[in-house]
Amino acid sequence: MTRTFKSAAHILFAAPVAALMILLFAAAPDSTAADTNVQVQLNTQKAGPREIEPLTARGILRDYRFAWTSMAQALESNTLDPFEGPFSGDARQWLRQTVLGQQQSGLSRRYLDQTHQLEVVFYAPEGDVMELHDTAQYQLQIRDGDKTIHDEHVVVHYVVLMTPAADRWVIRQLQAVPQF
Amino acid sequence: MGFAAACAVACAAQDLRVPQSAVAGEIATISTTGSGNATFYLIGPGVSRKTDVTLGQEVPLAAQDLRNAGEYLAIVCSGTCSSANFYVSAAKPSSITFLVHPSRVPVGQENVVSGVAFPFDQHHNLVLTTQNVSFQLTAKDASLWSHPVQTQNGVAWFRTSSGKSAGPVQVVSALGDLTSRRVLQQVASDPCNLRITGQRTKAGILVQTDPVHDCAGNVVSDGTIVTFTATGAQGTGTVDAPIKQGIARAQIDAPGAAAISVASGVVMGNEIHVGAQP
Repeated sequence: MTRTFKSAAHILFAAPVAALMILLFAAAPDSTAADTNVQVQLNTQKAGPREIEPLTARGILRDYRFAWTSMAQALESNTLDPFEGPFSGDARQWLRQTVLGQQQSGLSRRYLDQTHQLEVVFYAPEGDVMELHDTAQYQLQIRDGDKTIHDEHVVVHYVVLMTPAADRWVIRQLQAVPQF
Repeated sequence: MGFAAACAVACAAQDLRVPQSAVAGEIATISTTGSGNATFYLIGPGVSRKTDVTLGQEVPLAAQDLRNAGEYLAIVCSGTCSSANFYVSAAKPSSITFLVHPSRVPVGQENVVSGVAFPFDQHHNLVLTTQNVSFQLTAKDASLWSHPVQTQNGVAWFRTSSGKSAGPVQVVSALGDLTSRRVLQQVASDPCNLRITGQRTKAGILVQTDPVHDCAGNVVSDGTIVTFTATGAQGTGTVDAPIKQGIARAQIDAPGAAAISVASGVVMGNEIHVGAQP
């Protein structure tokens, strides 16, 4: 049992440091079924060997947030359409399997009050792939039909691979790990 | 959280013991305590399973259920629910995703070739444990360059200069018995010692280059544009001609005496003077 809980240290981690390039992208909650209150902070200080341009950083923030919003919607409503666009390759494959499994078993998941502290740890020399570490916090609810069988605030560490597509960055790999 | 706290008190009779270390694509078991029937849930990347179990017995997890690395949540409900989470790590590497840039590069350029390698297991999970990757560049079975790199966060990369000779170069990333190959084409760099000769003909002035090489002696690629410029009493005119089989030729319509110079890209060649038509 290695579940970790929200702590002051995690909040302090997000404190802005002048030398860091930290961008904040948050959206107000809306009235749709899935919770779209997804906050993403991006730290590009460790990015390398290629330097990240501000425009690229903004694109990553926008597209990563959109991916999690879409994923939350898909896993709550058990629909596949939200995965088209923000996800690609293996990530989209296992997310589709997840939804199909949920449809069969009558389960659904909710990711509420998401915050993501995203850090770029590798940006390929030619800019064709980026690896990020996401320390994500959210309220995870598992429902069996109308019954909530699990409700917990969690901190999960994700290793993420993103690649540029025609008009956006897409998530190709989203792999949770115990720690970075 | 309130739900979990309540469960900690009420669910002592249905504890779960999850795997301490599970590997993607390998079977595992979860042991339960208590007695009676219960509903077991396995929630993870690519899996959302619900089955009936008997408390006190082990719950087998199929290899198929654990093929994706990541965090899994096991929940058992019998009136109340209790849960435990565990992580599945990637199995040993079985393939390398290898990106190399560019596919075509001039010789003698510094730090223009780069490659990135990601090791993946047979279930397409990124292998995050440190791996030793060897990068090699070979041309005509001769090793041009090699460099061992340890993966960091599941990635290894290199950057190096292009070689001296035009032709195909194999770029290989190797991890144990696994290899991934890419081919890049090294082409001649800018022309070096660009020289032309010319002679008057009935139609004008026929100018042509000597065989065009770069400074390393590689024949400059066909299709490279060479610009001839003729300057005479009637003004200045230019003719662009592509290199064919190593030589560029052009016919310049200039009845009077003319000075003809040559250039390709930023490289200038010699200048010749051709007399007027007799």
